[in-house]
Amino acid sequence: MAHTNKSNWELIKNGMFSENTIFRMAISLCPSIAVTNSLKNGFFMGVSVIFVQTMVNLTVSLIRNFINPKIRIPIFMMIIAGYVSLIDMSMAAFARPVYKQIGLYIQLIVAFASIFARAEVFAVKNKIIPSIADGLGMGIGFFLAMMIISFFRELLGRGALWGIPIVSGNPLLIMILPAGGFFAVGLLMGFFNWVDAKMAERKAAQETTEKQAA
Amino acid sequence: MTAKDIAKITVNLIVIYVIGGLILAFVYAKASPIMFIKAKEEKEAALKTMMPDADKIEAIGKWEPHHKHAEYYAARKCGEVKVHSVKDEKTGKMREEKECINPRDMGYVVESFGKGYSSYINLLVSVDNNFTVKKINILHHAETPGLGDEIEKDYFLKKFEGKTLDTLVVIKGETADKVEAISGATISSRAVTEDGVKNGVKMLMEKISVSGEEKKEEQGKEQDHGSH
Repeated sequence: MAHTNKSNWELIKNGMFSENTIFRMAISLCPSIAVTNSLKNGFFMGVSVIFVQTMVNLTVSLIRNFINPKIRIPIFMMIIAGYVSLIDMSMAAFARPVYKQIGLYIQLIVAFASIFARAEVFAVKNKIIPSIADGLGMGIGFFLAMMIISFFRELLGRGALWGIPIVSGNPLLIMILPAGGFFAVGLLMGFFNWVDAKMAERKAAQETTEKQAA
Repeated sequence: MTAKDIAKITVNLIVIYVIGGLILAFVYAKASPIMFIKAKEEKEAALKTMMPDADKIEAIGKWEPHHKHAEYYAARKCGEVKVHSVKDEKTGKMREEKECINPRDMGYVVESFGKGYSSYINLLVSVDNNFTVKKINILHHAETPGLGDEIEKDYFLKKFEGKTLDTLVVIKGETADKVEAISGATISSRAVTEDGVKNGVKMLMEKISVSGEEKKEEQGKEQDHGSH
């Protein structure tokens, strides 16, 4: 992808839907399956990723002219790991209650392919504002995916949402185990593909009727 | 690639890494003392809940369950508390300092680890002077959500009250004096009961009764010395 001509809003939407990290690109699946067994976990993971993705994109874009293309990978690594350690340390010291909730997820972000991918594919080639928009869009897209997956997993696996019991009876325990995570992601991905196909069909049908009318 | 290119790349990498390193070092220098103090306070608070009646909880030794570092503590009750006003040398202000007179041991707290289904379960156990369990508390674990993580729940933790070395045994199904396993999480229940708690209590019994005997022996020697 060369220099982008898309507007900022288009960039955000791109990250949220057409290039959604989980459902379209299918990257960063491993850490996301690990934490989506409850809505609360999914929420905090999503928020952490929005923040780190945006900051990394901003930084990479800011110093893109100083980065020698031959050594861009170690530099991206340094930036991502640096941000993660920075946030981890400052939260441990100044925001202890928050740290106890999301400290674990922040550390997981180091291994996120999606953040690396956006630095490589987008931020290193684009100006600051579009890079922030791209980071935000990708982050929000990831956040939405986390919320959808964890909504179904917690509801089916525990009969609860955000820790509050909703349905009584025997829940489907497998949904909160790792295997259930793969089921949830696979089925949802299939569902979104089906919706996409249906929409494309309808669009094609509309176009043909319009042509016939013309 | 010419020598010039190599030099360029090297300088580029060094500059960016040094800048990153400096930023991290700066934040670490600011954050680490606060981090350290808060972590210590949290640990003290956790210990305090294990023995709410104690005036002082002091580390008296270290041990290594599953090759992990853990400490054990004596919970002491003061016979009398004297409050002194002391001048702080740094600030010049007066502050109060408590002195504990005639402390007596009212029990012990031990940190322990149990090997669970998918993690080492980190826990605290408090016992009275007869090594009967008063309370246990799970500090950290990564057991299966929905199954193994039931070990954190109060109904399971309460089962440990009044248990001794002989009754720290997991039973599947109903039991009057032993510990009933959580259904679907026998391994985690066993890890807490028969690994973490039991080994902690056993270790305390060995160490403390041994050091108690040593003390008695020393006292006995002194008395012998006096009589001669």
